[in-house]
Amino acid sequence: MAGGQIEKLVKYKSTVKDPGTPGFLRIREGMLLFVPNDPKSDSKLKVLTQNIKSQKYTKEGSNKPPWLNLTNKQAKSHIFEFENYPDMHACRDFITKALAKCEEEPNKSVVSTSSEQLSIKELELRFKLLRENSELQRLHKQFVESKVLTEDEFWATRKKLLGKDSIRKSKQQLGLKSMMVSGIKPSTDGRTNRVTFNLTPEIIFQIFAEKPAVRQAFINYVPSKMTEKDFWTKYFRAEYLYSTKNTAVAAAEAAEDEELAVFLKPDEILARETRHKIRRVDPTLDMEADQGDDYTHLMDHGIQRDGTMDVVEPQNDQFKRSLLQDLNRHAAVVLEGRSIDVESEDTRIVAEALTRVKQVSKADGETTKDANQERLERMSRVAGMEDLQAPQNFPLAPLSIKDPRDYFESQQGNVLNVPRGAKGLKRNVHEAYGLLKESILEIRATGLSDPLIKPEVSFEVFSSLTRTIATAKNINGKNPRESFLDRLPKSTKDEVLHHWTSIQELLKHFWSSYPITTTYLHTKVGKLKDAMSNTYSKLEAMKESVQSDLRHQVSLLVRPMQQALDAAFHHYEVDLQRRTAKSGERPNGYV
Amino acid sequence: MIFKIEDVTVYFPYDNIYPEQYEYMVELKRALDAKGHCLLEMPTGTGKTIALLSLITSYRLSRPDSPIKLVYCTRTVHEMEKTLGELKLLHDYQVRHLGTQAKILAIGLSSRKNLCVNTKVLAAENRDSVDAACRKRTASWVRALSTENPNVELCDYFENYEKAADNALLPPGVYTLEDLRAFGKNRGWCPYFLARHMVQFANVIVYSYQYLLDPKVAGIISKELQKESVVVFDEAHNIDNVCIEALSVSVRRVTLEGANRNLNKIRQEIDRFKATDAGRLRAEYNRLVEGLALRGDLSGSDQWLANPALPHDILKEAVPGNIRRAEHFVHVLRRLLQYLGVRLDTENVEKESPVSFVSSLNSQAGIEQKTLKFCYDRLQSLMLTLEITDTDEFLPIQTVCDFATLVGTYARGFSIIIEPYDERMPHIPDPILQLSCHDASLAIKPVFDRFQSVVITSGTLSPIDLYPRLLSFTPVVSRSFKMSMTRDCICPMVLTRGSDQLPVSTKFDMRSDPGVVRNYGKLLVEMVSIVPDGVVCFFVSYSYMDGIIATWNETGILKEIMQQKLVFIETQDVVETTLALDNYRRACDCGRGAVFFSVARGKVAEGIDFDRHYGRLVVMYGVPFQYTLSKILRARLEYLHDTFQIKEGDFLTFDALRQAAQCVGRVIRSKADYGMMIFADKRYSRHDKRSKLPGWILSHLRDAHLNLSTDMAIHIAREFLRKMAQPYDKAGTMGRKTLLTQEDLEKMAETGVQDMAY
Repeated sequence: MAGGQIEKLVKYKSTVKDPGTPGFLRIREGMLLFVPNDPKSDSKLKVLTQNIKSQKYTKEGSNKPPWLNLTNKQAKSHIFEFENYPDMHACRDFITKALAKCEEEPNKSVVSTSSEQLSIKELELRFKLLRENSELQRLHKQFVESKVLTEDEFWATRKKLLGKDSIRKSKQQLGLKSMMVSGIKPSTDGRTNRVTFNLTPEIIFQIFAEKPAVRQAFINYVPSKMTEKDFWTKYFRAEYLYSTKNTAVAAAEAAEDEELAVFLKPDEILARETRHKIRRVDPTLDMEADQGDDYTHLMDHGIQRDGTMDVVEPQNDQFKRSLLQDLNRHAAVVLEGRSIDVESEDTRIVAEALTRVKQVSKADGETTKDANQERLERMSRVAGMEDLQAPQNFPLAPLSIKDPRDYFESQQGNVLNVPRGAKGLKRNVHEAYGLLKESILEIRATGLSDPLIKPEVSFEVFSSLTRTIATAKNINGKNPRESFLDRLPKSTKDEVLHHWTSIQELLKHFWSSYPITTTYLHTKVGKLKDAMSNTYSKLEAMKESVQSDLRHQVSLLVRPMQQALDAAFHHYEVDLQRRTAKSGERPNGYV
Repeated sequence: MIFKIEDVTVYFPYDNIYPEQYEYMVELKRALDAKGHCLLEMPTGTGKTIALLSLITSYRLSRPDSPIKLVYCTRTVHEMEKTLGELKLLHDYQVRHLGTQAKILAIGLSSRKNLCVNTKVLAAENRDSVDAACRKRTASWVRALSTENPNVELCDYFENYEKAADNALLPPGVYTLEDLRAFGKNRGWCPYFLARHMVQFANVIVYSYQYLLDPKVAGIISKELQKESVVVFDEAHNIDNVCIEALSVSVRRVTLEGANRNLNKIRQEIDRFKATDAGRLRAEYNRLVEGLALRGDLSGSDQWLANPALPHDILKEAVPGNIRRAEHFVHVLRRLLQYLGVRLDTENVEKESPVSFVSSLNSQAGIEQKTLKFCYDRLQSLMLTLEITDTDEFLPIQTVCDFATLVGTYARGFSIIIEPYDERMPHIPDPILQLSCHDASLAIKPVFDRFQSVVITSGTLSPIDLYPRLLSFTPVVSRSFKMSMTRDCICPMVLTRGSDQLPVSTKFDMRSDPGVVRNYGKLLVEMVSIVPDGVVCFFVSYSYMDGIIATWNETGILKEIMQQKLVFIETQDVVETTLALDNYRRACDCGRGAVFFSVARGKVAEGIDFDRHYGRLVVMYGVPFQYTLSKILRARLEYLHDTFQIKEGDFLTFDALRQAAQCVGRVIRSKADYGMMIFADKRYSRHDKRSKLPGWILSHLRDAHLNLSTDMAIHIAREFLRKMAQPYDKAGTMGRKTLLTQEDLEKMAETGVQDMAY
């Protein structure tokens, strides 16, 4: 995918029934290009990404071939048949990303047309959001209906709500499937005794992961000794011999053919891995240790045939392997997950990458100290009985996101309940800041450590922060838990809150419009400025109207809002002056 | 919390205690006071182990003048590690509250295989070769030889340990096997011999049953334990089986062949010694005349397994004259082997009592009973004289001598059964001569006699009156505790039919019926889709599991199961099973979810916990009856009927149901835990079977859940899981306290109310 371009072999079909034209598909950010293999063919195709409306594809696992169906805005569809699923997914991801980019662009440039392009679905979603969120509805009413903001501007800042980000932009690594690979059944043509196995890279990967001996054999034999096709033929021959459970035949064939024998013999690499792993197993599970401690069942001691344990036919035949073992091995590999990130058609690369990963993990295994430590920790954790222990209740208030003020106020209670000056904990903001700065420096110097920040430091910072917040509210020395807002008449309180949210909304739009590069933004800023000054005067009026005993508090509350607005006004003025000065110099520079 | 039970201050490492734990301690204390044995059944998941450990250690602290020693026996090494883990927790707590006076020395003891730190010795693959490799480096004659020949390889750890002599001591603390190894490595002392040495000083010893019950091992390890010890057998529901196994031996063709080879080797050695060092053989002869089978006190490293017969049955006499000479002894053994070979050639099953066997042996091979009895001691002495270190090579002859000694010693409670092939595989000739013990009380008798208190405890000891009969002892306390439930956190169900209303069972004529196999499969497919995390399935036998999984694989049921959860299976390879279990746990931890297929009576069912998210559902497929046609089982049932008047049907059901209960009981660990249990067999709905389940399962088995089909079970499971996911009050509600605090206990002590409202 490097270079923003991707190229895959595909078949192009104009309709579903079309047999398809082989060729290759090249996708760039802006467009799709299909070039047929046969230069005389007229099915050469070029599609601009903006024109693609939607894409459909066949699901993996259904018995259909991997198809990607792109529908353009004229509702004409282009079908591409890929060679395999990974190819298709790669293309799909690419197109999805390109589409997402395209969608952002029209919003910026073609404002007037965008509303026309809105699908009904999107509109419904917007209505739903407005219905559910009264605050949003109020803002919408205030600004959009009074034409301060356009519908699109209003929603552009709320893309998250509309779920546009939910389109996956990064590619997630797939895990392994739970299905057993050994279960793949050959297909027959029904007339002859020939069987055909279809191997996909997915299957090969699983075979290599589950059977290291096969992987090793592949690296050793292919292509120096045999072709890949011969290799797999041999492999399935061996699998067939297993499935017949005829160990005598297996032994005979293995004796004749040493390559075949590799597949039939017990897996040495696996056995080594097993021996390695058993040493790190949780001691509370270690049944091997039991066996080492069992003197009753010394050779022929104990009871042999009383029917408690059933006998199974002697298993020491080396050409025998049970389904149960395969199942365990398979599950273990699935649990390990896909350890390599190689998407390659080349089987050899896959095999080598896997071998490398195994070697690395083995090297990690050498440092058994950590593993031992972890083992011991796990044991001590398991040893305790959780419900007999005292519940670990720390003083905390349930975090309610609905009203963030609750959070600060409850914290404030905690801070203030601490006896002042106890153990000199009380520090001012500067000291706390100093501490934080110090630990950041330390992290820079020594790197991250555990814990990331010393508990004392974080405690300092938090408590002084909450105290600063608290003092603003607590200036009257009243009950700290009761916020000043609660003492306001309800109408005033609502008004204050509403003003605050609307100012936030306006400011957000205001600041995001700078630098002004288009006329559109220019007019927008003008409208916003008017709306803001309007709000400003409303704030003033509100301040006047409240009772005298609350006035001071209200003005304290209103002050930061006004300050923010003042800053915006100031910026606007300065920018305007600069602009007029410029346009004075070059009257034709700016329209 | 710290509280008083009568005159003992108990230190319990948690802030709360279950009422049944408290009661358990009260009963246990009474037994200790009375210096008698006791039998306590308490459901799994109520913290038996910690209650027991904290009472006994506290009891020790309150009687500083006569400190008791705790010998704690577990069935498996991993249970041992778990117990030591809990003890560590307790010890930390006691030291925190009492200071250094609470310090104890607690060690786990295991074989060389699990304790050795010498990498060269450990390279040997199995236990026997590890033992032999150790002896090759530590036997007294090898070490003597090395002073002359510096090329003889010794073990540095053992040498350092010997050099330190009496100074080689463990500081107080709790040592798991891992800790012992770490300590040994650190100091350069052999952890195995150090641990064995410390057995006499330790306050708490945790080891496996066999170290006390099997005379071969107990004779070496547990010889010197003082009478003032409390012996605990945890998870003791299978103790009768361990006892009879400890005294049973069998002989096969391969054993005889091996024994013959061993004799040839011994013969060669004798000849070699005759040529080079005749004095040594003569010295041995003289020693035997004087009646000393062994030459004084053997150093620890020379000891091998002890006499297979129980200590008080071993004659303290001189070895009979006809086997004092090494060559003569070899001749006697040759005749014995020959006779056994002839007996093995039989075409029919033969059953015989030891008495008639010995008399026919006497008439046909001319070996007397007394000679037989001394076979083991004589062989031991000979092997020491010949300085044989590779003990693993000489196991076959050892087995034969064990057999001879046992058959010569015991006339009652044993029988000899010769089978030409296994009943279930008549096409494979595999003759076997088995000396099987039927009387579990034989092996455990010395333990009851020797120690002041023996505690037998488990989650399933029902019916509780059967155990004193089987083991022939009189407990001073015998009680079965109920479980006080905060909420109904277990949900047993009996599933009798599949969704198609056809009955399911593992009865012999039904088990391979395709309908039954399919219904069993469908049950699991449905269950894995609704149960979170871990699901465990137990089958009645390996062969049945093998067959059913193969069928499921062919019919696609396995594939459906694998879409929901990963599948792990217990196999007969212990290493593989261990890894499968480890992976299973990891799959549950990471949220992937997994199914574990296992076998009742298998190693997993015996001792692995599937608590918390490791097991939210256990499915018991079928009733795990023993193979009733087995000759040994028949003989044992006959014996039980004749001696204890236990009916054979009763015993079989009892045995099957205790195994089933054991399997499903692994699912719960504490009251905060929850799990479902499905008994999938129509026979469980019958009263005579069901009623043998332990009380704590029965009390949760509602009448409505006795005859379910798959779809009904699914419905119940959904409801149950939803209910369990709700928050609840841990302390119990409506006057039924299920979690006691310190104040509760103090209040109880004041008012003298002992009986809690369950």
